[in-house]
Amino acid sequence: MNIAVCVKQVTDTEATAKLEPSSWRLDRSVTCILNPYDEYAVEEALRIKEAHGGEVTVVCMGPENATDAVRKALAMGADSAVLVSDPALAGSDAQATAYVLAEALKTFSWDLVLFGLRSTDGETGCVPGAVAEKLGVPLLSALSKVDIQGTTLTVHRETDEGYVAYECPAPAVLSVIKGINEPRYPSMKGIMSAKKKPLDIKDVGALGLDTTQVGLESAKTRVLSARSPEPRKAGVKVEDDGSGAEKIADFLTGAKLV
Amino acid sequence: MSDKEGILVVAEPKDGKLANVTLESITRARALTGAVGGPVSVVVMGADTAPFVAQAGRYGAERVYTADSPELAVFRPGPFVDTVAAAIAAADPAVVLCSGSPDGRDVAAGIAARLGLGLLVDITAIEAQSGAVTVTHPCFGGSLIVEKQATTIPLIATVRSNSFAREEAAVEPQVVALSVEFSADSLLAKVLAVACENAGIVSLEEASIIVAGGRGVGSAENFALIQALADELGAAVVADELGAAVAASRAVVDAGWKSHPYQVGQTGKTVSPGLYIACGISGAIQHRAGMQTSDCIVAINKDPDAPIFSCADFGVVGDLLQVVPALTEQIRKRKAAS
Ligand SMILES: Cc1cc2nc3c(=O)[nH]c(=O)nc-3n(C[C@H](O)[C@H](O)[C@H](O)COP(=O)(O)OP(=O)(O)OC[C@H]3O[C@@H](n4cnc5c(N)ncnc54)[C@H](O)[C@@H]3O)c2cc1C
Ligand SMILES: Nc1ncnc2c1ncn2[C@@H]1O[C@H](COP(=O)(O)O)[C@@H](O)[C@H]1O
Repeated sequence: MNIAVCVKQVTDTEATAKLEPSSWRLDRSVTCILNPYDEYAVEEALRIKEAHGGEVTVVCMGPENATDAVRKALAMGADSAVLVSDPALAGSDAQATAYVLAEALKTFSWDLVLFGLRSTDGETGCVPGAVAEKLGVPLLSALSKVDIQGTTLTVHRETDEGYVAYECPAPAVLSVIKGINEPRYPSMKGIMSAKKKPLDIKDVGALGLDTTQVGLESAKTRVLSARSPEPRKAGVKVEDDGSGAEKIADFLTGAKLV
Repeated sequence: MSDKEGILVVAEPKDGKLANVTLESITRARALTGAVGGPVSVVVMGADTAPFVAQAGRYGAERVYTADSPELAVFRPGPFVDTVAAAIAAADPAVVLCSGSPDGRDVAAGIAARLGLGLLVDITAIEAQSGAVTVTHPCFGGSLIVEKQATTIPLIATVRSNSFAREEAAVEPQVVALSVEFSADSLLAKVLAVACENAGIVSLEEASIIVAGGRGVGSAENFALIQALADELGAAVVADELGAAVAASRAVVDAGWKSHPYQVGQTGKTVSPGLYIACGISGAIQHRAGMQTSDCIVAINKDPDAPIFSCADFGVVGDLLQVVPALTEQIRKRKAAS
């Protein structure tokens, strides 16, 4: 099974998010990391490769420095990577991102495409579904288990009540949740060898992308304004002297919450 | 200007009924028809949609598109996207509202890609003025509130649960049966089994009250205290048939005391209930990201400096093993007295 894994570089979850007021684009000058959810996707791809053979290719769209996130996936054990990077792509929304990733995925052959459930900065969770639609292959999202027999997948999709089990032939697009596995840490050897693994940086021209479909200007959604919400004020805080529960109950009754 | 009119709500079934988020979206849509035109229509799909039609009418859906098929009995992106595409073709709406649940997102993503539309996710408000529709989307864990528009029409958005009120306004809906041809590709994924080990649990996104436990709860067994408080509070909110749910921090899920569906936060669920009671949760930024848009937050923590207190409307510095059972008892007593 040849597997493509789409990974995104995101701003560190500890950093305060800021939008540049001129363009309402995310300020990416802060520390960046591999999207936490995508680590589960990389790990799952590596496990499938270890059990069934094949190659794992990382696919990423992002600025030049997204090579850091890509190298981390390579250090975990992926074989090669494609980074689509071009100033013309800056400001792309989820649909444009899906278009770019789908075009990148059309340049090589794979049996499965794995995604994280969502990115911690875009947070749409919609790129996998849009890519599946553009590629014309089935989507199965939010998976907590992936089993493979020949070219048939058996997967579990997490629901509130439990899960739904699906069977589906490859090729397919899958997104995985936290908890499907425990992502490995890159070993020293992995980190060293990642530096030598093929990383193909492609620009808009190399992929033959339609520039009217990418970037800030062509985005089909537009940010009008962004503001920080009124910071939540700390309310009343009391020391429990045995009457803490009663005070909470008074507060809830007073606020008509019960 | 476009001649598209009206709002189409994509219904989400939940335990044989329409999910709250669907009823909330229908209610909100009614208020927008002045600006975007009518009607408010709903597309319902499933093995048997009759109960959904009745419920949609009770909440004011003027037109209901139905798709009844065994292929739609359990959620699958393929046939669901085909059905919603058919409903959009039939209704030709100006606005399409989907649920913000995982199912709703899969449908919205597929539709947006198929029709070449911009997609607005996880909205908590929608306003319309002379044809221009603006939505509000809290992002980066609620640390930024962004107002957005779409440059394509229909506008398609996914709605966060508990963002709009839910009010009945019964009408007799016009029912339009859709005939949907599922493409062979759409049916490639097959449902093998539906496992419901947590059947009947209140969904976190839909709950109006959440009692959440963190590492401070101490053990899986002690979660019975959290559950007991939720049960008591759930039974106390008479008006709401959904009641209260139990949630957990990541530390609890990582320790194996609760499974992943219970996790609130950046790598779990985003919730905005009317009341969120955090018990033994320190309030790390990744946890707050998932719950700080709750209407009211109560915190119980023995550390007076726990960050959770900075966003709590009411905080008790104390041992939750004492305070939580005492609070359960208080609620029980007050209910008996009223
Ligand atoms: C990329 C990333 C993603 C993450 N995603 C999430 C997420 O989605 N959700 C999430 O929750 N976390 C997430 N985290 C983890 C987060 O940073 C915290 O580690 C986690 O929320 C801590 O959980 P906790 O508050 O239960 O535990 P702790 O931080 O250990 O806090 C326990 C609290 O309980 C109190 N306590 C102990 N005993 C008692 C008692 N008897 N009575 C009263 N109080 C008591 C203590 O004073 C303490 O404040 C993420 C972290 C990272 C790096
Ligand atoms: N720029 C990108 N490059 C590669 N993969 C991406 C990119 N954006 C999103 N993804 C993938 O799509 C998933 C969902 O992202 P999102 O829709 O932004 O929440 C992520 O977990 C990644 O697997």
